[in-house]
Amino acid sequence: MKKYFSIASAAVILSLAAAASAQDTVTLRFYTTQPEATERPMIETCAAELGINVDATFVQGGVNNLMTELRALNTGGSLPDVFWMSSGFVAEFVLDGLLLNIQEYVDRDIMPQAENYFVSAFEAGRVNGDLYAFPNHFVHTVMFYNIDAFEEAGVPLPTTDWTWEDFRSAAEALTIDKNGDGLTDQYGYYFFGRYAHIEAWVYQNNGDWLNADKTAFEPTPEAVATIEFLKSLIDDGLAPTPAEMQGLPNPFTSGLAAMWLDGSWSIDTIRSNATFRFGVAIPPRGPSWQRDIAHGWSDMYAVGAFTQHPEESWALINCLTGPNRTADLVEAGKIPVYRPVAESEAWLELDKQPANKALLLEWAEFIGPNAFTPGWGEWRGYVDGAGLQGQLDEVFNGNRSIEEALNAVRTTVTNVLNRFYSN
Amino acid sequence: MRYAKITPYMFIMPMLLGLILFRFGPIVASFLISFTDWRGTRPPVFVGLGNYLEMFNSDVFWLVLLNTFNFTLLYVPGVMVLGLGLALLVNQKLKGIAVFRGIYYLPAITSMVAVALVWNWIFTARFGVLNHVLRTYLGVSNPPNWLSNPDTALLVLVIVSIWKSAGLPMMIYLAGLKGIPAYLYEAARIDGANGWQQFRHITLPMLTPVSFFVLIITLFDAFSTFEVTFAMTRGGPLNASTTLPFYIYNNAFNFFRYGFSSALAYVLMVIVMILTYINFRMRSRWVVQDAY
Repeated sequence: MKKYFSIASAAVILSLAAAASAQDTVTLRFYTTQPEATERPMIETCAAELGINVDATFVQGGVNNLMTELRALNTGGSLPDVFWMSSGFVAEFVLDGLLLNIQEYVDRDIMPQAENYFVSAFEAGRVNGDLYAFPNHFVHTVMFYNIDAFEEAGVPLPTTDWTWEDFRSAAEALTIDKNGDGLTDQYGYYFFGRYAHIEAWVYQNNGDWLNADKTAFEPTPEAVATIEFLKSLIDDGLAPTPAEMQGLPNPFTSGLAAMWLDGSWSIDTIRSNATFRFGVAIPPRGPSWQRDIAHGWSDMYAVGAFTQHPEESWALINCLTGPNRTADLVEAGKIPVYRPVAESEAWLELDKQPANKALLLEWAEFIGPNAFTPGWGEWRGYVDGAGLQGQLDEVFNGNRSIEEALNAVRTTVTNVLNRFYSN
Repeated sequence: MRYAKITPYMFIMPMLLGLILFRFGPIVASFLISFTDWRGTRPPVFVGLGNYLEMFNSDVFWLVLLNTFNFTLLYVPGVMVLGLGLALLVNQKLKGIAVFRGIYYLPAITSMVAVALVWNWIFTARFGVLNHVLRTYLGVSNPPNWLSNPDTALLVLVIVSIWKSAGLPMMIYLAGLKGIPAYLYEAARIDGANGWQQFRHITLPMLTPVSFFVLIITLFDAFSTFEVTFAMTRGGPLNASTTLPFYIYNNAFNFFRYGFSSALAYVLMVIVMILTYINFRMRSRWVVQDAY
């Protein structure tokens, strides 16, 4: 009897010890929009490496769904420890005190090995000089061009120092009415008012949309000149109006336009849909160009401001964004922030298009300013196509002047920013 | 006996609790939220009537409201007329008429995304079927950019919505037509009434209770239209095809303005309530009460 009592007592003590040990193990709540199939194994690897538990939630339906969910969680007082963060929301979340300042962790763990990271990609997570979100990967806008069309038209391929005039000459040669019916069968270029189609042009002409502290919409003369130049491409028949292309599949991949400027992530889409060879080039330099500026931004991870485990949370982010993030876990046109992975043959995919994919890494060094503010998605028309995008489309469609459009945007931006900064 | 009084309530309790928690709760909460500036990243800030004042001072709101009424004014009669027309067509005693009924009802059960893709190819400017016909066969040199022209974008949404939605009213009208006693037509024919007179003086009056029902559900449908806007124009260009439900969605889930979008939702609710009230008040003036 005594023997059984001893065994039972030992069992109870052991289970209590195990329970206590389990309680000592930190559990982080983690939210992301990334696909579970690729992320869960990585999370499990990092959790094991760090000796923590990670309770991961994979939100479907894109960033806005995650942002809605985070707001609901915050309202309920249970903001996760670590979560996915999109560039367009960093400023707002910092303003409302929801992100932990991770500058000290980055200074301690990343900056001593800064040569291993694309430090320029950190900018999208920086507010008032400090970092609040750390990149998982980043993207920038590049000019995609149809190599077959260039060769057929006898046009030299874009160079790294090409100018707007070089671009215009190429676009003129590439604009072709193949069957002589009076309708253009191949345009030199295609664009509309979307941020990824416009901002790179503005920055390469040394322009900007906002004032220095991003509190007002003050387009510089260089930004206005950029819109005038783009409008002239449509007026001269080198690009279709946005209205003409609405509802159609991508005009570049379908061969209707020989050049197209958009985010580097489009590589996957072009590979899947295009039947021609394509390359990437940096956006051409405008007449007011002073230095190369890439329009780039990052998809990031952030630490919730109310976490009880800031050290472990940062350690998880550091693990997820470092060497563990192998090339197969990042889409083709998205660049891992950890340089050795981005520079690996696996990511460069030398056997696939574009043959000059390495240019994406060179261009990454030039990531400069961005226009992200609280409410950026609203005034830029990111989702609903109104705001700056809608106004620019109306300019490009010939329905209003540039001045009218920019004045309307000024009112919109003022209203949006006032909401965030007034109380 | 002791529990006899509360037993029925116990049976409906789960439903009642669900209704209170998940219907009435949000309705009351959103009313209170409509008086706040709240984006979910910080506690709500009480702004009194601020959201309502901002709304009434906003050009976009008035444009959206006008769009909503324009959509309704075209959509409701369109659906009712097409639904009735189709019902009259499929009310024939023809071989295989059930197949036709199925075909006409098909759009109602087809995914709006698929419908939008097809109609996009009809209305798109450069390669659209419609503009091809206009250019090639009717000699129109510069046909409209239907989807991105502020004057035509909403009209496109109305046309697509009517086409997609007419199936249900068709079935309801068909049921109504089947319920009209045949002897009324026989008596009319004996009295020398022609087809139009029979339709005008028998069919239409006898269908007024059905028409009233179709009017109410179509009105609700018009004031809650969302999918077609989302799938075809996203409310563009520059809100020219945005109606209130889509505007509410944008403000809530894209701009995260929960207070403002709640205020919009309440304005929409009041409009629908007023219109429904007017319809019920007017009912006695045109609905034949004892049609059957």
